[in-house]
Amino acid sequence: MFENITNSKIGSALVVGGGIGGMQAALDLAESGIKVYLVDNKPSIGGVMAQLDKTFPTNDCAMCTMAPRLVEIGRHKDIEKITYSEIESIIGKPGNFKVQLKKKPRYVDEKKCTGCGACVSNCPTRNSVQLIEKEKVALQPQYVEKVTSIINKHRNRKGPLMPILQEVNAAYNYFPENVLKYISQEIDYPLSHITRVATFYSSFSLKPIGKYTLNVCMGTACYVRGSGILLEQFSEKLNVKVGETTEDHLYTLKAVRCIGCCGLAPVATIGESVYGKLQAKDISGIIEKKKNEAVEYAKVNN
Amino acid sequence: MAEKKRIELMVCTGTGCFAGGAYQIIDELKKELELFGLKEEVTVVATGCNGFCGQGPLMVVLPDNIFYGWLETKDIHHLVEEHFLKGRPVKKLMFIPPEQKEPLPLISDIPFFKKQLLIVLRNKGIIDPEKITDYIARDGYLAISKVLSSMNPIDVVNEILKSGLRGRGGAGFPTGRKWQVASQQSKSPKYLIANCDEGDPGAYMDRSVLESDPHSVIEGMTIAGYAIGSTNGFIYVRTEYPLAIKRMRIAIEQAQEYGLLGKNILGTNFNFEIEIREGSGAFVCGEETSLIHSIEGNIPEPRQRPPFPAQEGLWGCPTVINNVETLANVPVIISRGADWFSNIGTETSKGTKIFSLVGKINNTGLIEVPMGITLREVVYEIGGGIPKDKKFKAVQTGGPSGGCIPAELLDSPIDFESLQKAGSMMGSGGMIVMDEDTCVVDVAKFFIQFTNDESCGKCVSCRDGSDALLEVLTRISNGEGMDGDVEFLTELAESVKDASMCGLGQTLPNPVLSTIRYFKEEYEAHIKEKRCPALVCRNLIEYYIDPNKCVGCLLCIKTCPTEAIKGESKHIHIIDQEKCSKCGQCMEVCPPKISAILKITGKDINNMVQLTELISCKEWKKEHEPAHS
Repeated sequence: MFENITNSKIGSALVVGGGIGGMQAALDLAESGIKVYLVDNKPSIGGVMAQLDKTFPTNDCAMCTMAPRLVEIGRHKDIEKITYSEIESIIGKPGNFKVQLKKKPRYVDEKKCTGCGACVSNCPTRNSVQLIEKEKVALQPQYVEKVTSIINKHRNRKGPLMPILQEVNAAYNYFPENVLKYISQEIDYPLSHITRVATFYSSFSLKPIGKYTLNVCMGTACYVRGSGILLEQFSEKLNVKVGETTEDHLYTLKAVRCIGCCGLAPVATIGESVYGKLQAKDISGIIEKKKNEAVEYAKVNN
Repeated sequence: MAEKKRIELMVCTGTGCFAGGAYQIIDELKKELELFGLKEEVTVVATGCNGFCGQGPLMVVLPDNIFYGWLETKDIHHLVEEHFLKGRPVKKLMFIPPEQKEPLPLISDIPFFKKQLLIVLRNKGIIDPEKITDYIARDGYLAISKVLSSMNPIDVVNEILKSGLRGRGGAGFPTGRKWQVASQQSKSPKYLIANCDEGDPGAYMDRSVLESDPHSVIEGMTIAGYAIGSTNGFIYVRTEYPLAIKRMRIAIEQAQEYGLLGKNILGTNFNFEIEIREGSGAFVCGEETSLIHSIEGNIPEPRQRPPFPAQEGLWGCPTVINNVETLANVPVIISRGADWFSNIGTETSKGTKIFSLVGKINNTGLIEVPMGITLREVVYEIGGGIPKDKKFKAVQTGGPSGGCIPAELLDSPIDFESLQKAGSMMGSGGMIVMDEDTCVVDVAKFFIQFTNDESCGKCVSCRDGSDALLEVLTRISNGEGMDGDVEFLTELAESVKDASMCGLGQTLPNPVLSTIRYFKEEYEAHIKEKRCPALVCRNLIEYYIDPNKCVGCLLCIKTCPTEAIKGESKHIHIIDQEKCSKCGQCMEVCPPKISAILKITGKDINNMVQLTELISCKEWKKEHEPAHS
């Protein structure tokens, strides 16, 4: 079927996708005298913009932008719409392509259809709920007891998500993926919503963090007393960037905003211990203190 | 209350002192008192934040009112023996004002406390925050009984309206008006939220109120709940404040036990419950609409107002959100009357305000002062001036939303309007003092970095605007500033201000605008002369060893992390500028008597003669010292 491709250029173009961009492209091409085939896999052109109310940044009404173009395309003698079709293959090179399309059946006679929509509203199965069977998420054995008890504790209060996330975070220091999925299933919140909340707050993490969080206070009082330099020193000594965890999973280095010990500025905390009036020369000693635990901790962790 | 003992030791256990080891001090005190057989006569009380955090860990000895600061466990034995057994107060542990020799034993003599007027913090350091009986003994819960027995909800709203109390969270909206709107809504249930999501760097007023006097907040909330017709209250506390959360939990339990919370409070048919909700480290949650979203378990992004939360808030119901400090004012206003309260302060700003006085200041701590007091009084009288006799440069109020107020305006009064006129704002009450060693470009950069991190990203102007501001500021502080940068910053800042939806975006350019307004010449120095007058911006400074002073002690060589200093014993050390990371550690270790290391910037760098070869100190002296003979 494609044997006879020649090098001569063809005076027609095919636009893939009938969204606002595709529509404008088709119109511009047709205006310059080129025959255009506008292909879309949906039953109608219009794309995502047809679903929008307003558009960024001008708050223009989406339909006002689109409608004139829709009409124009419908009327243009050089634009041929091929909707509800998928592209099967493309061969050739710029200037001369052959495209094979697969047109899906519509079960209506397109020549006679006026697009009144009466069949859609009268369809008996259209408004019945179509359940999608979701796969049940099961927790790994080490999480079962704790997580289920946390969920059960808060399940019936108003706005259960935050307390659950906080307690899970307190228990594991981060959110294992499966646990989030399980929470989503149990309290019937979409996983996307939970993930957005879980990534919004700085004390939550999706990755495992170290046994100790080494917080360097970057509150104003500490900052003007030089905590910025201290943070750099910590980062250099631990060989991690801010927000990262050391290889032995002992420390996660973080910059925090004011822990309210401004009288002791500059301040760093490791777990419960607070180190005030810190100087650059104290840093090594502080880090070394917990090093011995690193070995044990790594053993347990691996 | 337990029977009165001969001496009471009020040991501060606020977060500052706690971090300094206050509980070890308490244990030591108890041990020593037992040792000397004074257990029956002297009692140790763990109080909330005393306020004078710069002196922590500290304690006040009652009834003599003697103040001891900077306590260490090794001093306790001596202290107990001398003072509590033999009756001779220990001078060396008392507060000694900077530049003076004689200590001030009495708390009432210490200037830090003298100028303060305590309304919200009336119980600080006097009661044990974990005991409801202590609070009741100080006339606690009298206001709520007055309200429930003799006032209508409308009377309460009117009383607060009359008092002129304005929100202490920053914007200063009249509290009475907020209550009035909420009380007029027909929809129910109604909710009350106490906002303790205090995220401003360098500010910890709300935390201190919760830690030192949690019951006053509970009482204030109950009164507010009665006034607006709500039976459910929430306290939204940052998770970074574990001690405040713990004390609040205890206080709520005790109040429930005493019938001051829960069903049928004080035998009336008024019910009120309080629930604690924790934040999880997002600054924007301090904004009221995003705080509501956070409690609901939604993405904590702010939303457009109106409808205001007082009309449509938590779960779509009328909700009043008040700052913790505002609520702690309420019981006092009710029991002492609106007229008494409105006599304090200025025409438009009534009452007192708590500030956390931090930064380059002698007396770091928490202060409560009447509105209308001048900045000079706060900085020089209460704060005791700037350490090491440095020059005062500016004071930053209002956190990342506020601005810098320069020395020229030191005599302007502190109230909502004056601060706004100066290009800053009251904010929640952080007051950060800066001396001549603080670079304003660096400070502006710091704040923009903060707001850039914390911007929720909903509005483009705030998200990308802060990015752009940060980029230009970083460029300037790196010495790559260009002509027109200052004008660009101003224009950009104005448009971020205009186009953002919530308070965070609308105020984030303030630090930039106010520093440009008052310290334009410093920006110009960075841009045109590549000079940082405060010697802070790293790319613009160099460290240099003064050959006339260096004694060749090797200390700095041993300390330098990048091995940038070369030299031998008794030879003048030389810093290799290529290797130097400008961490400043050499300057820290150089003995103060010698202080041979200099920081230089701008033209001085080019003028400095850099030694290239090692030369012994003796030889140098011989060549360069004026000949005696």
